[in-house]
Amino acid sequence: MTDVRSGQPPGDGAAGAARPSVPVARLDDPHLQPAARHPRRVEGIVALSFLVGIVCFGGFGGAYWLNAKPWIIGTFFGAGLLALGFGLAAWGKYLMARGPFVEERHHLAGSAAERDAMAAALVQRTGAVVKRRRVLGGLFAAGAGLFGIVALFPLLRSLGPLPGKIFDVTNWRRGSRLVDSNGRPVHVDTLEVGGIMTVFPEGWQNTDEGQAVDQTVLIRVSTLDTVTRPGRETWGPQGYLAYSKVCTHAGCPVGLYEQQLQLLVCPCHQSMFDVLDGAVPRFGPAPRPLPQLPLRVDRSGYLRAQRGYGQPVGPGFFERTTT
Amino acid sequence: MVTRLLKNRFALPAALLVAVGIGGLLSFATGAGAQGGQANISSGGGVGAGNFNSGVALPPGVGSPNYLGGPKNSGGANSSIRVYAKVDGRRVLVAYGDKDIIYKAPPASFIAAGEALFAQNCASCHGAQAEGSAIAPNLVGVGPATVDFWVSTGRMPATTTNTVQAERKPPRLDATQALEVAAWVNSLSPAVPYVPYPNLKGANVADGADLFALNCAACHTITGLGNALAYGTFAPSLHVATAREVAEAIRTGPANMPRFTGNLNDAQVRDIVAYVTDYIQHPTNIGGAGLGGVGPVAEGFVALLVGVGGLALVSYWIGDRA
Repeated sequence: MTDVRSGQPPGDGAAGAARPSVPVARLDDPHLQPAARHPRRVEGIVALSFLVGIVCFGGFGGAYWLNAKPWIIGTFFGAGLLALGFGLAAWGKYLMARGPFVEERHHLAGSAAERDAMAAALVQRTGAVVKRRRVLGGLFAAGAGLFGIVALFPLLRSLGPLPGKIFDVTNWRRGSRLVDSNGRPVHVDTLEVGGIMTVFPEGWQNTDEGQAVDQTVLIRVSTLDTVTRPGRETWGPQGYLAYSKVCTHAGCPVGLYEQQLQLLVCPCHQSMFDVLDGAVPRFGPAPRPLPQLPLRVDRSGYLRAQRGYGQPVGPGFFERTTT
Repeated sequence: MVTRLLKNRFALPAALLVAVGIGGLLSFATGAGAQGGQANISSGGGVGAGNFNSGVALPPGVGSPNYLGGPKNSGGANSSIRVYAKVDGRRVLVAYGDKDIIYKAPPASFIAAGEALFAQNCASCHGAQAEGSAIAPNLVGVGPATVDFWVSTGRMPATTTNTVQAERKPPRLDATQALEVAAWVNSLSPAVPYVPYPNLKGANVADGADLFALNCAACHTITGLGNALAYGTFAPSLHVATAREVAEAIRTGPANMPRFTGNLNDAQVRDIVAYVTDYIQHPTNIGGAGLGGVGPVAEGFVALLVGVGGLALVSYWIGDRA
């Protein structure tokens, strides 16, 4: 039993004598010759590729110090790695011993004495071994359990608080003045027929939130009041039409306006919205028209929203009630 | 020899790589990315042709309602600089603008030559008095910049009326002749915008890049290569456009392109023109090759072909017995 504790295999002398000895390789063994037919030549190639690698890395360093163009630096770097790698691979492939090599295993099973000793050691040391495992197991359980709890956080967070009305409303309000991305208000003279610009409600033009949900395309299709749908008689003063820029399919910015076809095209999936017909989708995956923002011209000639969109903008979501 | 080649285990992957590479190069060479991408979805009774944006009726005279004025220095006659001349005893606006862009009317001496050129090249579709027809729009009162743009880019005279969109081609009329035609058409009913001459000195290319991303890149793409749009129309490449053509297109809104007036002042248009003629047309490709600037598809293709394909071949070589 002392053998087990000291790590010495019991009965070493008897088992060792039973193992067959591995034959010592002879230096003229053809398996030990290099794989290449002309090793000197390959040596030269490998040496050359290492030299190329040295030169390239030198060039990399020099180019880096000289602040050369990135593609020059990158070419040196990549070529250097390539040359070193090629040399190493060729070295291993062609200059190392050809093989194949066979090493016979000794007899795998231990002797009867060894096996008895092993069984006795297991029985005797079980208590100590299991104790140690309990500590480690406890630590592992703590780590894994903590991981499990932490991994639940996103799930728990997603259960609440509920989004409420944030998908249903934008920052467009009754009387919101239309401004461009620099905050300049839009006058009724700003656009000519066939013009387009992106507008925001005043005060929200440079906020992440405003740019996400409030972005609106303003198009001038005429100089006369324009009606796109029944019930929208006053929405298009002097030919100005405003539609949400957020595609009702996947939320991409619908900014491609074709003034002869009077189409707004979404760049992501080629949905096409009919500008003169309430932005009804004419083609593509968009399920609903772009919401139209009712406009009016104030006394100073600036464009204002009559009110908000009155429906959610952008893609559908589960709780969406209005169509 | 052939059987040895076939037995070689490099043969199949190498042949595949070569085949894919040749296919890719061919598709690049034929420009499949830029303009042929989208099929003509519906002819729908000629959606493109004949549906010209006539806007409103255009009474004659400078400052006609096709250009209401708008903010100062945004391409209209209400600009900082105004130059008048006496023509036939009348005071006529011959140039306007500011230090960033000067808009000039073609000289009155061009009118006679322009009338002859119009009769030869344009009148068969647009009518003897440029009044338009069923197949071509009325040109009266469109302003000289519009005429100069269409003629100097070679889009007009069109070779056929059957295309959805007139394409850029080598111009049939030279630069002077284009201005002569513009002079005669403008003499029928003078209107703005005049032909813009941007002054690119002092342009802010960085601001131009921002404005380009905001106003132009949606259709022309961020590299200016152009893209397919609805019903077979497309936004053309900007890589061959001159500074004047870019300014003309922005101010007049040719064909399906929107027209930018009051929301871009002359300084901003000048910045966009500088960005297009500078960076868009001469991009500094940090990676060494722009791959046509068509975006991640081409770049991913090259990365897959050269990178992964090359790695596959290398691992074949390393794993192969010597």
